[in-house]
Amino acid sequence: MITTSNLSKKYNNNLVLNMESLDIPKGQSFGLVGNNGAGKTTFFSLLLDLIQPTSGHIKNNGILVHESEDWKPFTSSFIDESFLIGYLTAEEYFYFIGELRHQNKADVDALLAQFEDFFHGEILNQKKYLRDLSKGNQKKVGIVAALIGNPEVIVLDEPFANLDPTTQIRLKQIIKNLAETKGVTVLISSHDLMHVTDVCERIVVLEKGDIIKDLATNAATLKELEAHFAG
Amino acid sequence: MIKRFLSLEWKQFTRASYFQKGIAIKILLFFAAIYFGGAAIFLGIGMFFILRKAVPEIDPMITMNNFLIYWFLFDLIIRFFMQQLPVMNIKPLMTIPIKRETVIHYLLGKTTLSFFNFLPLFIFLPFSIVLLAEGYPVINVLCWFVSVMVLTLTINFINFLINKNNTFFYIIVSVLALFIGLEIYKIFKVSEPIGFAFNTLYNHPYLVIIPIVLTLTLYKINFNAIKKGFYLDGTISKKAEKVNNMDLSWMNRFGSIAIFLKNDVRLILRNARPKQVLMMSFLFLFYGLIFYTQEAYQKMPAFLAFASMFVTGGFLMTFGQLVPSWDSEYYKLLMSQNIPYKKYLESKWYLMVVAVAISFVLSTPYLYFGWKIFGMIAAGALFNIGLNSFITLFGGALNRVPIELNVKAKAFSNTNGFNPTQMLIALPKLGLPMLLFYVPYKLVNFEVGLLVLALSGVLGIVFRNFFLNQIEKLYQKGKYKTIAAFAENK
Repeated sequence: MITTSNLSKKYNNNLVLNMESLDIPKGQSFGLVGNNGAGKTTFFSLLLDLIQPTSGHIKNNGILVHESEDWKPFTSSFIDESFLIGYLTAEEYFYFIGELRHQNKADVDALLAQFEDFFHGEILNQKKYLRDLSKGNQKKVGIVAALIGNPEVIVLDEPFANLDPTTQIRLKQIIKNLAETKGVTVLISSHDLMHVTDVCERIVVLEKGDIIKDLATNAATLKELEAHFAG
Repeated sequence: MIKRFLSLEWKQFTRASYFQKGIAIKILLFFAAIYFGGAAIFLGIGMFFILRKAVPEIDPMITMNNFLIYWFLFDLIIRFFMQQLPVMNIKPLMTIPIKRETVIHYLLGKTTLSFFNFLPLFIFLPFSIVLLAEGYPVINVLCWFVSVMVLTLTINFINFLINKNNTFFYIIVSVLALFIGLEIYKIFKVSEPIGFAFNTLYNHPYLVIIPIVLTLTLYKINFNAIKKGFYLDGTISKKAEKVNNMDLSWMNRFGSIAIFLKNDVRLILRNARPKQVLMMSFLFLFYGLIFYTQEAYQKMPAFLAFASMFVTGGFLMTFGQLVPSWDSEYYKLLMSQNIPYKKYLESKWYLMVVAVAISFVLSTPYLYFGWKIFGMIAAGALFNIGLNSFITLFGGALNRVPIELNVKAKAFSNTNGFNPTQMLIALPKLGLPMLLFYVPYKLVNFEVGLLVLALSGVLGIVFRNFFLNQIEKLYQKGKYKTIAAFAENK
């Protein structure tokens, strides 16, 4: 689904990402881990064409992301709060995203109904603007909005951060479902090794822009990752 | 402790974004400051003579005192919309060991350094000097001057109260509404006793004590109010606003751009900064009054054409020049979502067109000045819709300044869109209507001038798609730069 070749990104001669090749097949749940400055968000930004690669390219379903915009209809993402519109209520925001992805109100409502548990009664009918929600609740809104319109690729940057334990567990279930039953390609990054090994079939470790590990998740993966990061 | 605060303040001042602009802009800002300061000083000096000429039978000092209340009212209203209160900055001070009182004194003291408290100095100091030169008694003038300045501080603290406390806001607004109502329906002229009070204040210099006590009392009220609410969820917090639920589904008739239009309407009605722009653009409606009432301009129709363009173009220019900055807070979303640039631009264009249309309807009272003037306004409106809108959108595309939507712009530190490219873009905006009107007017006659100006707008509408495509290309080209600029901390 996603192929990268010779991808690199430099800021003032400072190499922040260098990926010779990385292929993510359709329906894979893919996890990216690494310390701060490892290049996780840079990679996601390149994938979403928010920054320009210094060399190489990314193809999303065969489409060169920095040349055509045709990847947008089947790709959705939540990177940070700048993906939320602060002066809308949660419902208004969901319907806005829904309209952009050609879903009518009923479609969106049907989808939201599945996430009643996840919202925990703190999102819908709150009569609050998104900018007045707590960080965790903002994240819930962003994540669910990224699921609207049956995307084939979903990119979530640190989805577990700021969420309460109950919500983290529910989110893990949601992500697993997406990849297993719907064939959605899910890309997440996380600092929480346990969650990432729980959710992802494959985990790539980045360090200062380089891929240094590419693991198919099994029972020993968590130990291996912990050993690696313990240095 | 105060010394530390001052050094923090100094760092905030010198490291603010508007200080780190190019030298050219600093010079321009400097000239702007000189210009406005100078204008205020001249107004102050001239005021005495203007009043003497306007109402020759009454002592100008008495006339001044009679009108003073309107000045203070105006001051309060402008402050309410424009003055930024420095409340958010004290959050980091809450957990370090400093006495609460110190922080609050500092906070309140800081508000007195606002631009709005210095503006009257520029007007009333020269005015007082003229009074002295005209031989008015020194003590009286001096005490009067002090009273006015102290009352300005009172307004400052009243504004602080009504901004932070809804009860005070409603009390003050209802009292004002009552007074204005009484005044307009001539039941009881409140301004007369107030004028009388100001005159008494002037005639009995020792009464200066009253405004001083008033200010100190308000300071104390503010102090107590803040002290009571000195918690994260109290005065210091941003108010979580009540959601204003609007049913905008009727806008769906606009088809594929409806979704953006609905969002833009919410953007404007739910955020402080665009609301400010909306109010400013309303003031533009009165721009014509300056030009149409002056004999001198009647012989310079090019200037009239210029003014006529402004009457309907206020919103278009003030809002339009900051597209796409209005969406800077969530620009990454727009760039990674399924959004065609053209639809986005088109919706902004429609918004501007609707604003011009509304301004045009509101400008019908200008019919009073005759059909010629109204014809100019109509032609100006067409020019705005057809050409000015695209020029403005084009200029906006070059403007990459992020905007904090729900924060009021600081008076005179608003240098958004204040860069050389913007200035260049402004030239055709201002010059084109004059040129389009003036050349055919000189060559043929007035009517043809109007016709050409109007037709230029029609032409723009006809070639709308061409223009939109060009602007879209500009957006595509600048995409990464814009994303990076908007992601920067403000």
